[in-house]
Parts: sequence; C-alpha cells; structure tokens
Amino acid sequence: MPFNSANLLPILPEIAILITAAVVLVVDLYLKEKDKGVNHVLALIGLLVAFVLTGLVGGGERVLAFDGNVVRDLMSDLLKAGALIVSALTLVYARPWLKDRNLLAGEFYVLSLCAVLGMLVMISANTFLTLYLGLELLALSLYALVAFDRDSKLGSEAAMKYFVLGALGSGLLLYGISMIYGATGSIELGAVARAVAEQGSGNKVLVFGVAFLVIGIGFKFGAVPFHMWVPDIYEGAPTPVAMFLGSAPKIAAFAMIVRLLVEGLNALHTDWQGMLAILAVLSIGLGNVAAIAQSNIKRMFGYSTISHVGFIFLGLLAGSTQGYASAMFYTLTYALMAAGAFGILTILSREGFDAQNLEDLKGLNERDPWYAAMMALLMFSAAGVPPTVGFMGKLLVLEAVVRVDMVWLALVAVFFSIIGAFYYLRVVKFIYFDQPTTAVPIVTTGGVRAAMTVNGLAILFLGLFPAALLGLCQAAFP
Amino acid sequence: MNLLLCVITPFLGAALVAAVARLGTWQAAAAAAGVTLAAGAWLAPLVGGTFQGTTLIERYTWMPREGLDLTFRLDGFGLLFALMILGIGLLVILYARWYFSPQDRLGRFYTGMMLFMGSMLGVVLSENLIQLLIFWELTSLSSFLLISYWQQRTEARQGARMALTVTGMGGLALLGGILLLGQITGSYDLSVVLAAGDQVRAHPLYLPTLLLILLGAFTKSAQFPFHFWLPNAMAAPTPVSAYLHSATMVKAGVFLLARLFPTLSGTPEWTWIVSLTGLTTLLIGAVFALFKHDLKGLLAYSTISHLGLITLLFGLGTPLAALAGVFHIINHATFKASLFMAAGIIDHETGTRDMRRINGMWGVMPYTATLAMVAAAAMAGVPLFNGFLSKEMFFTETLGTVAQLRFGWLLPLTAIVAGIFAVAYSLRFIHDVFFNGAPIDLPRTPHEPSRWMRLPVEVLVALCLLVGMLPALTVEPLLAIAARGVLQGPLPPHSIAIWHGFTPALWMSLIALTGGVLVYEGRRPLFALAARLEGRLEARRPYDWLVAGVFGVARWVTVRLDLASLQRMLFLFVLSALALGMAGFWSAPMPLTGAGPLLPFDPVSLLVALGLAACTASVVVLHRSRLIALILLGAVGLIVSLIFAKFSAPDLALTQLSVEVVTIVLLLLALYFLPQSTPAESSRPRQVRDLLLALAAGGGNAALAWAVLTRPAESIADWFLTHSLPGGGGANVVNVILVDFRGFDTLGEITVLALAGLGIYAMLDGLRLPAPAADAQGRAWDPDAHPLIMASLVRLLLPLALLVAVYILLRGHQLPGGGFIAGLVTAVALIMQYLANGVAWTRARLPANLHPLIAAGLLIATMTGLGSLALGYPFLTSSFVHFHWALVGDFELASAMAFDLGVYLVVVGATLLILIHLGLVHDLSRPPAEEPR
Repeated sequence: MPFNSANLLPILPEIAILITAAVVLVVDLYLKEKDKGVNHVLALIGLLVAFVLTGLVGGGERVLAFDGNVVRDLMSDLLKAGALIVSALTLVYARPWLKDRNLLAGEFYVLSLCAVLGMLVMISANTFLTLYLGLELLALSLYALVAFDRDSKLGSEAAMKYFVLGALGSGLLLYGISMIYGATGSIELGAVARAVAEQGSGNKVLVFGVAFLVIGIGFKFGAVPFHMWVPDIYEGAPTPVAMFLGSAPKIAAFAMIVRLLVEGLNALHTDWQGMLAILAVLSIGLGNVAAIAQSNIKRMFGYSTISHVGFIFLGLLAGSTQGYASAMFYTLTYALMAAGAFGILTILSREGFDAQNLEDLKGLNERDPWYAAMMALLMFSAAGVPPTVGFMGKLLVLEAVVRVDMVWLALVAVFFSIIGAFYYLRVVKFIYFDQPTTAVPIVTTGGVRAAMTVNGLAILFLGLFPAALLGLCQAAFP
Repeated sequence: MNLLLCVITPFLGAALVAAVARLGTWQAAAAAAGVTLAAGAWLAPLVGGTFQGTTLIERYTWMPREGLDLTFRLDGFGLLFALMILGIGLLVILYARWYFSPQDRLGRFYTGMMLFMGSMLGVVLSENLIQLLIFWELTSLSSFLLISYWQQRTEARQGARMALTVTGMGGLALLGGILLLGQITGSYDLSVVLAAGDQVRAHPLYLPTLLLILLGAFTKSAQFPFHFWLPNAMAAPTPVSAYLHSATMVKAGVFLLARLFPTLSGTPEWTWIVSLTGLTTLLIGAVFALFKHDLKGLLAYSTISHLGLITLLFGLGTPLAALAGVFHIINHATFKASLFMAAGIIDHETGTRDMRRINGMWGVMPYTATLAMVAAAAMAGVPLFNGFLSKEMFFTETLGTVAQLRFGWLLPLTAIVAGIFAVAYSLRFIHDVFFNGAPIDLPRTPHEPSRWMRLPVEVLVALCLLVGMLPALTVEPLLAIAARGVLQGPLPPHSIAIWHGFTPALWMSLIALTGGVLVYEGRRPLFALAARLEGRLEARRPYDWLVAGVFGVARWVTVRLDLASLQRMLFLFVLSALALGMAGFWSAPMPLTGAGPLLPFDPVSLLVALGLAACTASVVVLHRSRLIALILLGAVGLIVSLIFAKFSAPDLALTQLSVEVVTIVLLLLALYFLPQSTPAESSRPRQVRDLLLALAAGGGNAALAWAVLTRPAESIADWFLTHSLPGGGGANVVNVILVDFRGFDTLGEITVLALAGLGIYAMLDGLRLPAPAADAQGRAWDPDAHPLIMASLVRLLLPLALLVAVYILLRGHQLPGGGFIAGLVTAVALIMQYLANGVAWTRARLPANLHPLIAAGLLIATMTGLGSLALGYPFLTSSFVHFHWALVGDFELASAMAFDLGVYLVVVGATLLILIHLGLVHDLSRPPAEEPR
C-alpha cells in the first residue's frame, strides 16, 4: 500500500515539535554558554508554530490517518492547543530559575519538547500502540527531567522512585491492554469498541482488562491508591520540572482516559464507573486531608493535584456527554491553574534559594502586590471559590454527577472540598497577613510578569465567561 | 437591562473609586456615594411596577448549553433588600468619611465597600440560584477584605480569616444544596423552584437538600453553633460592622431562608431544625450580650440574638410568622445600624470600647446619647419604637405553638426570657455608657462628633421613630410587597398597629420590660458569675477544636500514608492492584478453565517446568550471593530456550541462547565492581509479608494467564504461515516477519541498538572505577589472567564460530537462523578472544573502531528500504529472485537478505562495542597485568 502524504496533515503539530526538538538538540552543540537563551527562544517558537498548525489543520470532521493509528477530532484540537499553551507558559516561568542555577542547558528544552511531543501523540492516538508510544515518550522524558538537577540528591531519589513506580504502572497498563487485545483482537479503538459492544461484560477477560487499564490510568493521573509518587516527585523534582509535570501532562492523561475508557470501552461503562468512583472518592478525600498537614508547598500542591484528579474522575464517571465536557473543562483549567501556582514559586526563588515552604510566601503582598493578587486568585480558584474558574469547574462536574443520580458522590466531594478550602485559604493568609521573612526584592523579567498576568487573569476571566471554552469542550463530545 | 446595570455598577464603581482615591478622601467618598446613587437610579424606574406586584425577570445568555443564564429578578422582597443595601450603604459611606483617621487609606475601604455592595445586590436580585451562590461567595470574599481592613492588627486578621473560613465553607455546603435542588426541580430558576414546593418536600432528597441549604444560611447568619465568627469579626472598623454585621451580610442568611420559604418550609424537619436553631441562638445571643464589656461585642451578640429571632419566626412556618420575620428584618437593620454607628462615635471620641471605662457620656455628648437611647429602646422593644411592633408580632406567634405541641409552652417562655435579657442589655448599653458615674481613664477627651457624622444616625433613628409610631403610613406598603414576595401568595390578614388592646403579647412585652429592668438591677452577682465562667463557654472553642482536629487527622493520615520508602510504596501499589483485580474477579465469578482444547501432557515437559520453577525459586532465595544468582539466572534462560525448542520455535531458541550468553558475560563484567553479596535489608516479618504478597500477585497472574490461555482464541499465526513463502519468499516465518512483514520495526530496533551501543560507549569511555584489588577473602587475583591453554583453544575456535555465523546468516530466510542470531554468535566469538587473550593482544589483530561497522549496517538496512521506494514501492518492500547454480542447486536471492546483513552488522558492532568497553573499564581500573605470550 503506497504511502499517502495526506496522512501527515493531522500530525503537523507533532512534526513541528519533533523538528524543533531536533533543531534545539543540534543548535545547542554550537551555542556558547552565554547564548543558551537561544534554546529557549527556539523552543517557544516551536510551540507557537505547533499551536498555529493545530489551529490550521484543526476543526471540522474527525479524520483518521496512518491506517487508523492517528485521529484528529475536535477533542484532540482543543487538548493539543491547551497542552501547547500550558507548556509554553511553564517554559517561560522556568527560564529565570534555570538561569540562576546554571541549568539553562539545551537538554532541558529537548526533554521538554520530547515530553510535549509525547503528549501530542497521546492526544492524537487512536490505537493502543500509538497511545502507549506517546505515553512512554512523555514518561521517559519526565523521568530524566526529574533528575535534571544532578547535584540534587532529592531529585535523583525522586526520579528513581518515579521511574520504578512508573515502570510498574506502565506494565499494568500494558497488561490490561494485552487482555483487551486478546479479547477483541484489535488494537484500534474503534474496532475495540465494536467488539466490546458485541461481547459486553459477558467476557470476563475484558473486565479484568478494564481493571488493569484503570490501575494504569490511575497511576498516570496520580489517583489514590496509586498516588504515592506524586508528593515525593513534586517535592523532589526541581520546581520548573514539577511545574511542567504537574500541568500539561494532565491534559494528555485526560486524552488517554477518554480514548481508552470512553471511546474504546464505553460498553463497559458500568464496570469502570465503579472503579473510578472508588478512586475519585479516595483521591478527593486523602488529597484534601493530607494537604492540610504539609508545610512544604510543593508537597501540598502534590496532594492538591490528587484531589483535583478526583474531581476529573467524577466528571468522567458520570458517563454523560455533559460529564465528559465538564471533566475536560476542569482538566484544561486545572492545568492552567497548576502552571500559575508553580510559576509563582519559581518567581519567588532566586539564586541559591528555592521557595518551597509555605513560610516562603509570607508577606508576598508587601513584596509584590501584583503577584500576590495573582497567587490569591489562583488559590481561590483551586479552592473553588467563585467567580474564579475553579468554581465553575467544580460546579459543572458536580452538576454532571448529580444529574446521573450519584448524589452521594457529589456530597462527599463537596464535604472534602470544604476541608480542602482550608489549606488554600491558609496560603492566602500567608500572602496577605504575614510579614515577609526576607527583605530580598523579587526580581522578574517582563516576559514572566506578562505570562503570569495572562495566566492569573485567565483564571478570573474564564470563571466569569466560561461559555466559550465550555462550548468547545461540549462540541468535542457531541 | 436595569437590574444588570444596577448590580454591575458597584463593581465597575469599585475601579472608579480606587482610581479617584488618589485624589483625596473627599473625592473617594463622593465617588462611592455617586456610584451608590447611580446603582439606585437604575432601580428607581422599576419601583412602581414592583409595588403593583409584578415580578420582573431579566435574562442574559451566559452558558446556554448548560442551561445557565444570568438571570435577575426583582420582586417586593428583593426590592426591600436592595433598598436597605443602597440606603444604609449611602449612610455608611458618609459616616465612614468622618470615622476613619487621615492616615487610614480610605480608597481601599471604599473599594471593598463597592465590591461588597455589588455582591450583595447580586445576591438579592438573582433569579438563578447558581448565580446567587456566586454572589454569595463574593460577599464572603469582599467582606474578608473589609474585616481585615486594619490588617496590622492580629485580631482583625484572625477575625477575617475565621469569618471567611466559616462563611466560605458554608457557601460550599450551599452549593451542594442548590445542586440537589436543581436536580429535584430540574431548574435553577427561582421561579421554577418556588413553584415546585410540593415536589421538593415529597422528594427523598429533601432532607439532605434542606440540611445543606440551612448550613449555608446558618453560617452566614451566624446561627448557633456557627455564631462565634460574628463577635470575632468585630475587629473590623465600625462602619463595616454597621453595614455588614447589622444590615446586610448577616441578613443574607435569613434572606435565603425567606427566599426559599415557599419551597422548603412546612415540613416537620424544617420546623424543628429551623425553629430550634433560631430559639437557641436567640437565647444564647441575648444572654451573652449582657455580659460583654466591649461595646461592639454587646451589639454583636445582640445581633446574633435578633438573627435567631428572625430565624425562629421563619422556622415556625406560618405565613404570619414569615411576615413578622420580614418586618423584623427591616426594624433590626435600622436600629442596629444606628447603634453600631453610635458605638463608633463613642469609640471614635473616647478611644476605647470598654464599657467599664466609658461612663457618664451624657454630660459630654447629650445629642448622640439621645439618638443612641432611642435606637436602644427600639432594640429592647419599648412601645412607640419600631422594635416593639415586630417583637409583639413575634410574641403572638410564639403563643400559637402552645396548643400545637406538647411542650409548646416552652417556646413563649424562652421568648420571654430572651426578651428580658434583651431589655437588660439595652439598658446596660444606655446606663453604663451615658450615666453610671464619671469616665475612667479615657485615652481621648470626648466631645460631640461633627455634624455630618451624626447625620446618618439621625436618619436611621428618625426611621425607627416613624415606623414605630406610624407603621401603617410608613412601612406597611413596603412590608406588604416584601412579604408577598416571600410567601409567593396572598398575605394573611394582619394589622400592624401600636395598640391591639391588652393581648397576651402585650403582657409578654410588659413582663420582658419589667424583668429586664430587674435583671439589670441585679447584674452585679451575674457579672461575677460570668467572669468566673469566662472562657469556658467561649463559642469559638469548638471551632478551634475542630481546626485542631482536622489538623490532627491530616497529620495522622500523613504519617500513615505519606511513605517516603519506595519499598512501602511498591507494597501498597501491588496490594491495591491486587485488590482491584480481585474485585473484578469476585464481582463476576467465572470458571477459571475455559473451553479451549488443552495440549497433551508429557513427563518431559513436566520435568522442564519443574526445573524452571526450581531455578527461579533458587534465584530468589539465593539472590544475595550474586555470582550464584547469576549462574542460576543463566540456567533459567537456558531452560526457556529449551521450552522454545519444545514448542517448535528453533529461531527463538537460538536467539534466546545467544542472548543469554551475551547477557551473562555482560553481567559478569559488571559484577566485578560489585561486592560479592548483597546485604540483607529487610527484616524477617517483612520478608514474609512480601513473600505472601508476591505469591498472591503471582498467583493472580498465573490464574489469569491460565484463564486466558485455556479459552479458544483465533490465532494470527495462520496468516503469517500462509503468506510467508508467497509474500516474503522465505520458509522461515520468524525471519520473514523480522525482515519483511515487520521490517520497519526491525529497522527501528537496530537503530535503537546502535544508539544504545554508542550511548554506553560515551559513558564508559575513559571511565575509571575503583575495583577491588582482592576478592572477599583478601586473596589476590590469579596473576595468570589469560591461561595459555584456554587462549589457544579459543583462538582455534574463532574461525569455526565465524563459519557458523555466516552459515546461520545465509540460511536464515529459509531455515532457523538470521542476521540477529548470527550477529550474536559472531559477537560472542570475538568477545571470547578478548576474554581469553586480553585486550592488547586482540586489539593488535582486530580493528578497535567499531563505529564504521555499525554505520555500515544501518546504511545497508536503510538503503534496502529506500531502494524499494526508488522503484516505486512502499518503503522496505522486499522482492526475491531464484537463481539456478550448477552444483549448488536452486538458490534464492531476496532483498530482505541484504536487510538481514545490515541487522547482522549492527548487532555485531553494537554488542562488541558495549562488551569491549565494559571490559576496558577493568583494564583501566587496575594495574596492567602480564600479557600472554
């Protein structure tokens, strides 16, 4: 069968990122130490080009390419755009941090771009194989990124844990995939869906396959009880890496869960609904409760992520198009929120000092009122206080859950959100009410300030006018 | 449009005020007042229609697909609240201009005030409940800004935080309630919800809905047991207290009760929960108020008490009680706001709020004293003042329950007790502050405040009097439409007048008045008692306990579950996976053995399987002695290759065999740098635990594998078997798959192999590792590193091995063999030269630079692919031709064989590269040994 170059059209964004990664890899060899910023610019240009290409090839009917290995639909367009934007933001925040520590190396950008490529591949995947390829590309890049600061013992330990557990998680995912392949005879999600619809949950091998898929997904998302890596990695990884790892990959993970469970195994909805419900409740509960006791803010964000993942699962397990759209909205806005919150930490850090304790936020309002306001917005959003987008996300998800008569789930979620609101408010208290512990001024670049402004105000703006983004999310699930 | 503008104006105005505040305080105040008036102006044209009883609804699309619109609603009840918010807001703006000292930044205050005003208007003018909730939370946020205005003071920060925590969490509970309400009625529109009362009350979710909504309302309105935040919020500047804590924010809770009154009320649950809460709050607030020495503390507890009264009225559930509740909302707002302002004046003039020190103010500020006395009389429920009217209605309503309930008489009794205390604390407010001897040690010398500071108080007190004396002329129409808005139906017959004759309610009022005077007379022993109990009945204690408790739980959870150890993480991970898998099994039990045919059973297979199991188990048991474990591992690999052979897969068996050899050599090279044994790290119980878990997980896997393998499956093997010869020209299906059907994969794999080789080369090149100079027992290594016999034999072996490799390569397409295996055989043969003869000897005879070899292999493989592309076929399409040679016979030449050659070269190159450089590390790490001759 001759190759048709039309196949390349849907993956133009991926190709752009791949080329950028390759270019940065080579260009970096010829750069002097003081010119390493060129890598940064190249990476941003690559992300921008990919973003533009996503817009150009996006929209319209669902397209399959590469014999059904790759899909381009409205969901992939939106998720790709989201992942690219959030990644670009994190790269902008990361640069001063890296520069201060002499870590502004080409490898960081190559690995980050490879991770972005992995995310895009995951988002475009329409077979188990493509999905797994993207997932592993992402994961391997992240393992290396976590250990990026080679002098940091904590970082190396975190990377080791991440790698060992990640390998186990991937293994279980593959185990599940192999069972489903065995039961359906196909790795293409459309064919799997047809076969599953035919067999239903009568075929027990399928049920086991789903169970292991859910475990793998739960690990990648960091849902309880497969969450153990999250706080350690968030704490151990260099702040920019934790930021990168905690934001955009969630979008890709969302694509993974939708492709696998919703598109592939929708006929087994009742089976995975129960499992997701358990994971969601445990995540929301443990995430919120354990976050309170943390004094390290990166660790606290780790637990906070866990609880937000629970909310994403809530939307998904509702099983309605409304639920999927809500979960998608939640994921996208959460990624934005996480990038911003970690971004503030990179801004607070300086040469020889890493902001990672709650105390380090003390008196931020006196040191820089604008960043303080942005962080307060982000925290309110994470707590789910209106009119920020965090509230909208929670509202939509909860509504979806209530609509399908799973009232108790909504009540549990609300209960733990109330507890959860507590620790976000504590951060706000530190920012506004406490005296700064240091007199060192906050030095940032104009680019960082602009990015943070856009990021923070987007949280507010999307909360006030959610209809546009929500409309896009809903269009992805007709 | 008007309602939207009315709500938005203060928000936009906040920006305006913030900007104008740079010019000066007057400008800021004027801008704030202007904004308030503008918001009122949008409302003005609608007032007429509302008084005629129409309900105005404005709708703007917001999130159309979710069915969420921005919807505003104006009816009598909403109008009443809007008027209070704007009217009292205007007075507070004026008052605040004089209250704050010049160094306070007034711009921030007015900005916060505008934000709060907009949020509050949003709450009372919302038709959509979600939208109402958003504004509700906004009031919490903006009040947080206002309460913490003096953020340098610790108590202000604590008070603000507590208020935000309690009301914010209440808001989340309310969110849950509203979601349930929307689920029951199918809409978030108030019109729909209000009309669906019967449906809601009959619904099974009614109770949770009610509880969640009440939680929101009670936290906001500072009802017992959530009342503690209000006194702590008194750290706010007094204008804030006057506005938020008397007239508006705390009223949002009762607003919600009233708003949802037609939907939720009328059930025993409602009556019991709401009226009991109200009653408790009423009593507690009244009693505590008397014993507060802080002027604002007294007013705060009095506010709590009055909010309890209003709650109780709505809890009773009768239309008349609801009407009385609305009436008391109005009255309380007027007299309490004026009292707060008066308290602010006193604080402002004397510099303290301690009633034990502020005495005899009558002599200094008689005018203010008169105003305060009127307002206090209204609070006490003295006739001719507005508070009396609503209180009398309240007493009447409490009497209604006497006949209905078994202990109904308790209600009027409690009401009277609360009334007595209300009179007593009002009396204390008047007597302690304005009379009672001379002031003690005041920080400032008080005098009458400025004219403008008194004006807002005057206006409010005038209202108290007017309503109190001429209720029918003043408040009646507004009350009527507001009550109609609450009840969503016709008003009950009622009459608001000063004199109804000697009714029981009047007697209750009189008892309360006399009792109050008596209690105040006997206050000294009571105060002494209160001083002794001080702190023990502190209501924030439970809150503190709760916070501490949550922290405790969080710490406990963290200690238990926040594991730093990877082993424990893995344990938990595997355990969870096992549990989830088991759940899948138990939820749908199925026969373990499927219907597929089983293979025949023979003793040799059993023996092989047993051997495999024994070797594997031995590896686990003996894994601490590294060398032994490695040898056993090699045995496992060999048995596996036997099994491949048994299942007629000679290719796999060959590959496994050669890979096994190479890996073991590689591991041995690495082992040299490691200690001979691994120290034991796990304790015995932990080992047992891990063993059990491993057995369970492994058993689960085995069971699943058994279940899958015994089920009939459609094999893909047939397709390859039938297509191998005609499509790929090879009889060896495995090899055809590798070089033809899956040629692209193989190309990728050898690229990876080449890269891995280069990567390891880059890492090992020039590396020096500290290696042990002697073995574990301290014996030196054998000086004869390259024994002569072995060296000679190995040299002899080389041509043989290479011949075998070429043979395997060439026959690969038709018979077991192929480039991969041949490559490994060659590599093993060459590495043996290194091992047996030493690096220097071998290097002199073999090219040390292996990169060209790898590159050539990759190039050949890629060129084969590109060749087919150049001929117009897809990448890596293979073709084959048959030649007939004399002597040799029929010979096939396939393009895939060239590809296989590429594979061969890469495998040889990469494997050698890795092994040689691992070996070189040894040589670099120790002094050069004697070379063989």
